Amino acid sequence: MTNDDQERIRVELKKAMPPVDLIPRRDLWPAVLRRLDARAPVTPWYDWALVAGLAGLLVAFPQFIPLLFYHL
Amino acid sequence: MDLLGRFVQGDIEAFEALFRQLQGEVYGWIVRIVREPGTAEDLTVETFWRMYRARARFDPRKPIGAWARRIATNAALDYLRTRRPESELPAELPQALSPDPALQGELQRQIRAAFDRLPAKLRVAAVLALVEERPYQEIADALGISVGAVKLRVFRAVRNLRKQLKQMGVHS
Repeated sequence: MTNDDQERIRVELKKAMPPVDLIPRRDLWPAVLRRLDARAPVTPWYDWALVAGLAGLLVAFPQFIPLLFYHL
Repeated sequence: MDLLGRFVQGDIEAFEALFRQLQGEVYGWIVRIVREPGTAEDLTVETFWRMYRARARFDPRKPIGAWARRIATNAALDYLRTRRPESELPAELPQALSPDPALQGELQRQIRAAFDRLPAKLRVAAVLALVEERPYQEIADALGISVGAVKLRVFRAVRNLRKQLKQMGVHS
């Protein structure tokens, strides 16, 4: 591939991609603030209770561990 | 304490002051890469959110503009990696030298589609180097790679694009 090839590709790409406006259309600070305020999704307490219950069952009855893996 | 130091400590007013300084630069950099104003706005918000989240890792003795640009480039790369090309390429394209404006328009649309099929990291290097004509050093800093690696990515992008266009009968 020669420099001429690269130049031809460059010219065609420039034609295919017209210049873009480099100035934002609106103030983005309110959107940044909203993003900062958005909290990470919280895992509900009953999900933790289920996990704890399952862990307790497996400790009490370890023979069910292979069964659990079979169903996962 | 200076502005950057206060930002690192989590001062929201210092962060807003930095945002006001950098918003245009960060948006301009992202829109050059993704070419869509709405997407660039979303990614600008994402960039500043990532900056705030990572503020403890920022060294206030270093230029914040370069750090912001690096985070912005990563956000744009993440976006380009997840976005699928919109259209399929035809088996044959109109000839590049055709004087018909309609055919020229179609040709440019398909060249753009072929470009969108390149791997994201090649696209970013190629659009910044070939279309936006940014200095290789600036691109290298934004991507966190060497100038040689940028040149290699641009070379691979051009070779890949040329191959696609040749298959479609546009390039000899």
